[in-house]
Amino acid sequence: MKTTCLFLVPALAVLTSCNGLFGGIYDEFDAAEKPAASSCFIARDADGKGGTLQVDVRPYTTWTFLDLHALQADTANTADSLASADPPFAWDIALHRWDVKTHGGSALSSNYGSVEEAVSAGTLPAEAFVADVDSAVVVDMSTMMEGYLGYSQSMVNPVLSQWIDIDTREMPPIYTLSGRVYIVQLTDGTRAALQFTNYMDDASRKGFATIRYRYPLP
Amino acid sequence: MSLRIPILSFLLIALALPSVAQRTLHGTISTTQGEALWGATVKVKEHPTLGAVSDRHGHYTITLPDTSAYTLEVSMMGMASQARSTTEAERGKLDFKLKEERRTLETVVVTATRTPKLLKDVPIVTRVIAEQEIKDLDLTGIQDLLQTELPGIEFTYSMNQQVSLNMQGFGGNSVLFLVDGERLAGETLDNIDYSRLGLEDAGRVEIVKGAASSLYGSNAVGGVVNIISRHDDAPWSLNLNTRYGSHRDLRYGANLGLHHKWLSSQTNVQATSCDPIKMPNSGDFSTIYGNRTLNAKQRFVLTPVEQLRLTLRGGYFFRERQSSQPSYDRYRDFAGGAKADYTIDSVNDLSLAYAFDQYDKSDYAVGSGLDVRNYSNVQHTLRGIFNHTFLHNGTLTAGGDFMRDYLMSYQFAATNRAYTQYTADAFAQWDFSPQRWLNIVVAARYDYYSEATASHFSPKVNLMFKLPKSWSIRASYANGFRAPTLKEMHMNFDMANIFMIYGNPDLKPEVSHNFNATFAYDQPTYSLTAMPFFNRVSQRITTLWNQARGGMVYENMTPTSISGIDLSASVRWECGLGARLSAVYTHESLSEGGLRTSSTRPLTATARLDYTHHSRSWRYNIGISGRALSAVTVDEYTKLTDPSQTEEQRYPAYTLWKLNASLRYFRGITCTLTIDNIFNYRPSYYYSNSPATTGTTIALGGSIDIDQLFR
Repeated sequence: MKTTCLFLVPALAVLTSCNGLFGGIYDEFDAAEKPAASSCFIARDADGKGGTLQVDVRPYTTWTFLDLHALQADTANTADSLASADPPFAWDIALHRWDVKTHGGSALSSNYGSVEEAVSAGTLPAEAFVADVDSAVVVDMSTMMEGYLGYSQSMVNPVLSQWIDIDTREMPPIYTLSGRVYIVQLTDGTRAALQFTNYMDDASRKGFATIRYRYPLP
Repeated sequence: MSLRIPILSFLLIALALPSVAQRTLHGTISTTQGEALWGATVKVKEHPTLGAVSDRHGHYTITLPDTSAYTLEVSMMGMASQARSTTEAERGKLDFKLKEERRTLETVVVTATRTPKLLKDVPIVTRVIAEQEIKDLDLTGIQDLLQTELPGIEFTYSMNQQVSLNMQGFGGNSVLFLVDGERLAGETLDNIDYSRLGLEDAGRVEIVKGAASSLYGSNAVGGVVNIISRHDDAPWSLNLNTRYGSHRDLRYGANLGLHHKWLSSQTNVQATSCDPIKMPNSGDFSTIYGNRTLNAKQRFVLTPVEQLRLTLRGGYFFRERQSSQPSYDRYRDFAGGAKADYTIDSVNDLSLAYAFDQYDKSDYAVGSGLDVRNYSNVQHTLRGIFNHTFLHNGTLTAGGDFMRDYLMSYQFAATNRAYTQYTADAFAQWDFSPQRWLNIVVAARYDYYSEATASHFSPKVNLMFKLPKSWSIRASYANGFRAPTLKEMHMNFDMANIFMIYGNPDLKPEVSHNFNATFAYDQPTYSLTAMPFFNRVSQRITTLWNQARGGMVYENMTPTSISGIDLSASVRWECGLGARLSAVYTHESLSEGGLRTSSTRPLTATARLDYTHHSRSWRYNIGISGRALSAVTVDEYTKLTDPSQTEEQRYPAYTLWKLNASLRYFRGITCTLTIDNIFNYRPSYYYSNSPATTGTTIALGGSIDIDQLFR
């Protein structure tokens, strides 16, 4: 009889749980559908010279501009072409999907294991800095089913844009992070170290570039 | 003094009476080949507490309480049970010869008519895979089992390595999978989670091809696969098993059974894991994701009085798919249920059941450790079935279900992530035989779906003509349907920022008309079956490009037809040698515009040759199984927005062969060896519908029935 009762109790619990049981075993993640660009700087180092950035790069029609000097970020949308997007402030680097560009700067890919290692190294790697090049970025996927994509002319930094490799030969694509620490030379002569550590947010939504950075480098 | 003698005499007589009335029977238990069977259990049907076990020479001795007629039941794992009356004993000796437990004509099946019926009498061809066949093949899941045993079944990958079924032209959403008659919640790309269907406690698997909607409702247009759990009456049983294969394909399992008077308990736990598998050649997929699963089930059966049987069950399932390094896909299921089977009297019985099934999906972020749920399907089902057996002829079955179906999904709009649908149905079936050579089953079912505001009436009729010399002819018509799902009605999903997929609340149910006939020759040694079939399905639900909305929209399509013939031949001689050859030819009509849009392979076949031998203390089985699938040519759209632009794609034929050997020693110790893909077939390019094989693989298994060691 005890056994019967032991099973009747959970059975009654089930009956009253119309929309399911054990919701508590999952984590709640109250993610905004489109987080504000201004919330990109999600963590700052204690010394104020670095931190972590998370940029929503899901939209095709948006560049997110980052100002490492004033630690601010914003987006610019364009109806027709990204080329005409006006940066809202004196920005340093910008991200669009998996593309990265600098504001007249240049970048190199180092062998450092972390941005902290780049700080403690004290010297620059031997590799040459590479400036942005004129390129085209995808801004319209709506025509993909018709066999073509909408592109827009834009400057892109070819070194920084290698932070992720997307193998589209199979579906879903295979995403592979380079893991590299990139040194970016800004127009004012200062340098920043960036390492892209994820392409998803904490809830595993693809299209969120997570970046560890240190700025300025000594 | 005068009283003492009569009292003493009375007491002596009373004490002596039992020994005078008791009766001892003995005999030998052996295989039909004459090999003695060690460890077979002998029970007295009328006295469940009385029993004996055969010794190493197959001898048994049992003491009966009196000289009345009793029925002795002899059972042993892997052998078909046998019952004989003690009146058949000669000079106190009663021998038993057990047959290998395979598909026999005396097997009782339940799926085709929802009532127990002998396989030889069932008017709808039912394929039964017995427990011993499952054990000999040492398979972990239903996919391997169905593909090995049946032609016309193909499990392939669809997008993102999600498993997709094709059963003679019908997809996963048209084939109903049941566990002890209960549906499973949840789906991914129109297919249930097949990895939930472990075989660790399967007593047998019944497969009915063709529409069975008049008994089971929506989703049974293409057929029904029903896994029936094992039931054990032994006081206790404990089985531990493991399997280790290539790519660290691991399985651990434990099954504990307890039985005492009116209560029995069955506990099953199984864990599996497999490393990621790198494909040797290029293709639509380069690596099969690593995965791990855990499946735990508990079932109590209570029989407080002889007429009442209560079943309480609970289960937990977990699967993790390592689809990418920073994020894993997780799938969980929580199941429970209660069922009461009540025998009202000799001609009436009633079954009432409640079932709960919750299937969740979540994304587990390896870095942050967050496990966020994005899908939950919760189904509550109430069911009642009543059977009445007419005194002269026939059985009437009537019943109904009520289900609450709740679905929360990431594929719905953010403004409304969850929908609920209520379904109700009533069905009735009359099974009767106006002549000894004729059996007729007529049935009808009415279903109502609240969210789809759809209802459907599904009738069916089955005829079986028993001809002389083991021949029979079966003919059936069944009307089937599939109601639009909550997903198909309300989807609002952004496909990777590329295009939207929209549901359609105005969808109509898919409707099918299924005709089939079966010509069968069935006797214990030989069996031949030919089953031509024809299905016409209208209002098929699929996604079509909608230019105005700039996305894919669920729509009803123009009718299509699926026809073909299913052939099967098998033989099993007393010497232990058996063979089976089955083939299915399937033809699907061309779609509008004359395009070949179906990827159903026209010709598929399976074959098996095996040999089983018993000796006094061991049993071995060695077998080779093969499956062959013909090539198929498909016209594939190159632009979803323009159906006139297609290109021809040919998917190559292939053949796979597998060798199985199992050896059972000293009652309960079993070792198995499986060499899969023995001819080392490797696709030159891995299409989604190519076999996901890297070449020849080997697996070793071990199982021990600990209880058998103590008997």
